Amino acid sequence: MFDNIIELLPEIAKAINETLLMMAICLTAAVLIGGSLGIVVFLTSRGQVLARYRHFNLVANALINVFRSFPFIILLVAVSPFTRHIVGTSIGPLAASVPLSLAAIFYFARLIEQTLRDVPRGVIEAAEAMGATPRQIVTQVLLVEARSGLVLAMTVLAVSFLSYSAVAGVVGGGGIGDLAIRYGYYRFQTDVMIATIVLLVIMVQGIQLLGQWLARHVDKR
Amino acid sequence: MGTLSPFGTAIRLHGVSKRFAGIDGIEVGVEPTDLDVAQGEIHGIIGFSGAGKSTLLRLINLLEQPDAGQVVVHGEDLTTLSPDRLRAARRRIGMIFQHFNLLHNRSVADNVAFPLRIAGESAARIRDRVDACLAFVGLSDKASAYPAQLSGGQKQRVAIARALAPEPHVLLADEPTSALDPRTTQSLLDVLADVNRRFGVTIVLVSHEMSVVRRLCHRVSVMEAGRVIERVSLDAGHIPPDSQLARWLNEFGGGSESAAPQGYAPHALAREAAHV
Ligand SMILES: Nc1ncnc2c1ncn2[C@@H]1O[C@H](COP(=O)(O)OP(=O)(O)O)[C@@H](O)[C@H]1O
Ligand SMILES: [Mg+2]
Repeated sequence: MFDNIIELLPEIAKAINETLLMMAICLTAAVLIGGSLGIVVFLTSRGQVLARYRHFNLVANALINVFRSFPFIILLVAVSPFTRHIVGTSIGPLAASVPLSLAAIFYFARLIEQTLRDVPRGVIEAAEAMGATPRQIVTQVLLVEARSGLVLAMTVLAVSFLSYSAVAGVVGGGGIGDLAIRYGYYRFQTDVMIATIVLLVIMVQGIQLLGQWLARHVDKR
Repeated sequence: MGTLSPFGTAIRLHGVSKRFAGIDGIEVGVEPTDLDVAQGEIHGIIGFSGAGKSTLLRLINLLEQPDAGQVVVHGEDLTTLSPDRLRAARRRIGMIFQHFNLLHNRSVADNVAFPLRIAGESAARIRDRVDACLAFVGLSDKASAYPAQLSGGQKQRVAIARALAPEPHVLLADEPTSALDPRTTQSLLDVLADVNRRFGVTIVLVSHEMSVVRRLCHRVSVMEAGRVIERVSLDAGHIPPDSQLARWLNEFGGGSESAAPQGYAPHALAREAAHV
């Protein structure tokens, strides 16, 4: 009964690779750009060390909210002209990485901003009183004190965007989701559908277990 | 109050105010008020909860920006400094807090090293200072422990070691014993007295506990509704009976005898010799 799967093994391997590529791109973009954005939004929020840049905070917050209110499938379609412009095509894993990255950046920015709120104000203040610069407060206080929360935030990000990357398959993004749609759904190959689901479950479990272990490991509080 | 110290003024707040919009739009905080702290003294700030003690203390290192007034620490008006110079000035002003505010994900030694690291001190100097300061507070054996593994009293000792590491001239303490039991409070006040006596560090101590202020302070400023309403010298062991402080003492009790170091601590220049 696993004939379809055996026949499709090369396709499955290719799909896994495509999914990993999409994940790598969008998670990197999210952590670098979204992480920085989240940190700056946190620093400029009320009562924090850069609270005087209130306008930046308002604009950045609005931007994050706007992008986060798009249902992902709509964002995918809406940004396709932009995607074609920078990737040259709007299909395939590279193209799908554009809307994925956009969504992930703003999702992660919000997640990071909220995670950093767990660092007690008093601890940040103590660093200020010792003459720390805003940059030192970020690198030596916030990122250190919130590190287990940050690891968990990345875990949530990875799990969510594994699922989003499957959605990208619907519009020819490639990857595991694409495989499930093309064979499992359109061709009624139930075993392929099950195989892809099992694959995704295993990946999610792996990410979650790794994230939780790491978060516990780095937490000395 | 005449001349207060043979060594001059460490801190002078002049006409400082800081207002917050409280509930119902009623403004609270610090009204225009003055504070004078002599070099080498332990100066208490006492008053009821909400009197503005913490705000006044935080004005000294500009954790609160005053709406008006001058904040002069060692002859320098901090309100006129660039951010860079303000950070440099803050490095000479240590601070400890009621809830310690240690970095929980860093070891005790790394906490003490923190102010030196951010100031770009050499590894050798950091090692020396961390060893010396942990030895001073009696926690050399806890260098590699994490704050979560320590008692409240030990955490506050680490905070004191951290504040002392950059060899500050001034130490600000906001209710440093209010989260501790009476016995731990005693031994911590002894440590603070030692900081003053041995290193000549000027200490400003905020407390709502009369017993704490009486044990430790040379002088005390009494705050009510955002203002310093009187200043009382405790050195002579005699509190003017017509003072607000004396009335509160009668009403709420005063705790133990003074254990304040005899006389103000030696001048900052002389203290180098005694320094760890
Ligand atoms: N950051 C702040 N925002 C708003 N109100 C504040 C703030 N800090 C202090 N206050 C208010 O100012 C008043 C004085 O507070 P504080 O200096 O903490 O008093 P104390 O330390 O004597 O208890 C209180 O009414 C307090 O609620
Ligand atoms: Mg207070």
